Amino acid sequence: MITSGILYLSNWFSLANGINYKCLVIGSSLNLAIRWHAVASWTWDAHDETCGICRMAFDGCCPDCKLPGDDCPLIWGVCNHAFHLHCILKWVNSQTSQAHCPMCRREWQFKGSE
Amino acid sequence: MQESTSSFCNLGVLDALTDDSIQEILESYNGFCVTTQTLLGGAGDLSAGTEFVAHVHSLCKHGLESLVRDHFLRVLEEAFERNGASKFWRHFDAYSNFADLKRNDDVDINEDEIQQVLCNALEEISLEKQYQEKCLLILVHALQSYKDQMSGERHNFQAERDYLVSKYQLLVSSVLMATLPRHFPVILHWYFKTRLEELSTIMGEDFDDDASLNKDDMDLDEKGKVFNKVGEMDVDEYYSHSRFSENSRLVKNIGKVVLDLRSLGFTSMAEDAYASAIFLLLKAKVHNLAGDDFRSSVLQSIKSWIQAVPLQFLHALLVYLGNSVSYESTSSGLKSPLAPQSSVCCPGIDTPSEGLIRWKLRLEYFAYETLQDLRIAKLFEIIVDYPESSPAIKDLKLCLEYTGQHSKLVESFISALRYRLLTAGASTNDILHQYVSTIKALRTIDPAGVFLEAVGEPIRDYLRGRKDTIKCIVTMLTDGTSGSSSASGNPGDSLLEELNRDEEIRENDGVDDDFNTDDRQAWINASCWQPDPVEADSLKGSRNRRKVDILGMIVGIIGSKDQLVNEYRTMLAEKLLNKSDYDIDAEIRTVELLKIHFGESSLQKCEIMLNDLIDSKRTNSNIKATIKPPSQTSADTGDNAISMDLISATILSSNFWPPIQDEPLNLPGPVDQLLCDYAKRFSEIKTPRKLQWKKSLGTVKLELQFEDRAMQFTVAPVHASIIMQFQDQMSWTSKDLAAAIGVPVDVLNRRINFWISKGIIAESHGADSDHVYTLMENMVDPGKNGGSNGSPQELLGGDEEEERSVASVEDQLRKEMTVYEKFILGMLTNFGSMALDRIHNTLKMFCISDPAYDKSLQQLQSFLSGLVSEEKLEHRDGMYFLKK
Ligand SMILES: [Zn+2]
Ligand SMILES: [Zn+2]
Ligand SMILES: [Zn+2]
Repeated sequence: MITSGILYLSNWFSLANGINYKCLVIGSSLNLAIRWHAVASWTWDAHDETCGICRMAFDGCCPDCKLPGDDCPLIWGVCNHAFHLHCILKWVNSQTSQAHCPMCRREWQFKGSE
Repeated sequence: MQESTSSFCNLGVLDALTDDSIQEILESYNGFCVTTQTLLGGAGDLSAGTEFVAHVHSLCKHGLESLVRDHFLRVLEEAFERNGASKFWRHFDAYSNFADLKRNDDVDINEDEIQQVLCNALEEISLEKQYQEKCLLILVHALQSYKDQMSGERHNFQAERDYLVSKYQLLVSSVLMATLPRHFPVILHWYFKTRLEELSTIMGEDFDDDASLNKDDMDLDEKGKVFNKVGEMDVDEYYSHSRFSENSRLVKNIGKVVLDLRSLGFTSMAEDAYASAIFLLLKAKVHNLAGDDFRSSVLQSIKSWIQAVPLQFLHALLVYLGNSVSYESTSSGLKSPLAPQSSVCCPGIDTPSEGLIRWKLRLEYFAYETLQDLRIAKLFEIIVDYPESSPAIKDLKLCLEYTGQHSKLVESFISALRYRLLTAGASTNDILHQYVSTIKALRTIDPAGVFLEAVGEPIRDYLRGRKDTIKCIVTMLTDGTSGSSSASGNPGDSLLEELNRDEEIRENDGVDDDFNTDDRQAWINASCWQPDPVEADSLKGSRNRRKVDILGMIVGIIGSKDQLVNEYRTMLAEKLLNKSDYDIDAEIRTVELLKIHFGESSLQKCEIMLNDLIDSKRTNSNIKATIKPPSQTSADTGDNAISMDLISATILSSNFWPPIQDEPLNLPGPVDQLLCDYAKRFSEIKTPRKLQWKKSLGTVKLELQFEDRAMQFTVAPVHASIIMQFQDQMSWTSKDLAAAIGVPVDVLNRRINFWISKGIIAESHGADSDHVYTLMENMVDPGKNGGSNGSPQELLGGDEEEERSVASVEDQLRKEMTVYEKFILGMLTNFGSMALDRIHNTLKMFCISDPAYDKSLQQLQSFLSGLVSEEKLEHRDGMYFLKK
């Protein structure tokens, strides 16, 4: 089996996800197969860490939400200030006239996607 | 009475005496003395009776009746001392060494001989006594006939007779009592003990026959009826059926001894002797039936045995004693008039029955108490054996309801706990399991938990001083696979699961209220028992109709549910981070159960953690399905290309996880590349979110392939990175290898031990004291090192402290508390020593900002015990000192 370029993995690997993995690392002295389960954390790609309205961490969620991430997204204004979507919507809706960014007082406009 | 007044009070009579009459008196008196001596001399000669009567008459004529009585009684007393008492005691001289024996000592005693000696002695003294009573009656007749002559009418014979006879009886008793040797009560005890044992063997056979049901030729219905009544109060009826003809000889024998003893004035001594023999027998029977078997109830068989043996005996005895009285009073004119004492003290028709009921109560109380003491002494073992031992617990409960001696249980059990369980040698797990078993077992006895509170306190106190308590509690609550799971549930159940199931069962049974009728009664009884304020403070006790809340009592060890939930979160994080699949069904279930008990909000973070895994699974398949084929990456890495298929990831919302311990690590090139691609794809899909890899965390499944076989491992990334370096290079120095994977040399040297221990890498010493690691092409000892195809080897989880990926709650706490360390040390420098409470209160008072002190007493205690183990502080007699 050393001569062949490809090793067929034993059942243990094949069964792991119900898929046949034929991929393998072939070295000069050691043949091995791997399945790598990694760990990462996600974070919002924002300059600040906390929402200027609710003072909660962006990577957490707004006071009205239970789950962070997709369920409680961030939104940027044209002024480049970010807030929890739910927070800024509440803010905007509470303003009688034109809303301003709570951080820089500039007129609030949602930043268009690209 | 007239004569006597004149003779005593009117001394003038003396002056009136003529010489003749003096002469007559002297002669009569002489004759009276001689005949008295003849009668009572011991020869048994009654022939002098007529002469005696004549002298008595003559003396009475001269008003010397009292002289007659007194003299006769004095001679009688001397005669009894000589012919009765001293002879009687002489029989027992051979046993004088008995006096120093203990009641239940086993000595080599010829039982038949004692029995014989006692019977002979009693017979002899009874004969002597009967003879003396006859003589006494001759005197009575003489006095009587004189009176009859004088007044010409019959006087009441009874009064005179009763007077003299009772005088005589008193004389007999006092002579015997005055000369009683110490060993006599012991001999009596032995006698009754032996006879009762004999009887119990015979009756015990009947009892066993009864118990094993219908074997003999008795009518079935009849037998059933009899058997049913055993448990009731109809003892008389039961025994009227019973066939004790075989034993009646024995009972009569014993009865005769009792009667004889009574007539000698030993009534209470006799009763004491057979009572103590009965109790001794009962005690032995209880010990014998109960033994160390806690898995069956013995109370009913003890009660049945009491009915079948001692009560049957007592019934027969009481009947015999009663019967013999009536028999003698009708048939013998010379019978001892003192025998019917029983009917004198308990008049009425049903006396034996009443007496028997009293006996029944006495015996049962004694049996309950004996069994209770026996069970209390073994309560520790019983609880270890719980729930298999629940029959013994039920017995104990009934006994305590009867005796009300709950405080005995509390004291004894607490000292057993201190001695057996709360010691350095016992593992925290064992202590916790015993604690839970104790709660489960004792709530049967004490549904209100009144003295459970008292019993639990020392365990809780002790556990609070152990560092791993919280962790063990959480494991016990949430982890069903930890082996020593609770016995009453399914083997794989966590305690939480079990508690939940119990609750559901209770609800399904429609018990709207926490007590069924039995429990209610038990509670009422238990509440009759007045606990000391120490055992259960009045506030807790007054919470009427509360139920024992196992979970509450467990949380009570820690102090707050928040700490418990926090510890669980840390353990959950550890568990989730080590998963290589996304299978979290068990964890979801556990969090659901915890939510029921601790409230939804306190588990919100745990829910987010679980949700992260669910999301990760979805995101993972989404990323892999949409990622572009790794065209350029395969060019970069050449032969070592691996497929994205082999990568999976858990993506955390790190704000909701406990602090995660990530260490720098260089991953193998291909893997690193794939993770980059993965992260890139993530930010494409989830923009504007991005991924940050925690490279030292995760789980790698490896298969190493050798010519003849393959070995599988589940390892941490650092181990995988190490071994993958050997793909291109057979041999590494530790310095180079450490640099290649980006960890300090000492970390490498520690981590690589895993592969060395598996026989895959060999270690040798190279130049400059550097280690050289070489891949083994031929396994040294494959058999020993295992790693066959079937069972992948795991190196994950918390068995090695450095393998932890989540900071322990303790570490987190230590970090938060370090701010106060200086303050605490400063206080102790000023005050010398301080108790926990005082340190706590002072911190609360002075540390009001930056950051405000918000820790619980338990947290402070745990922090301080950390400082003690770091040898910064000392802890003695409840006080903390600076370590000198
Ligand atoms: Zn916000
Ligand atoms: Zn929200
Ligand atoms: Zn702005």
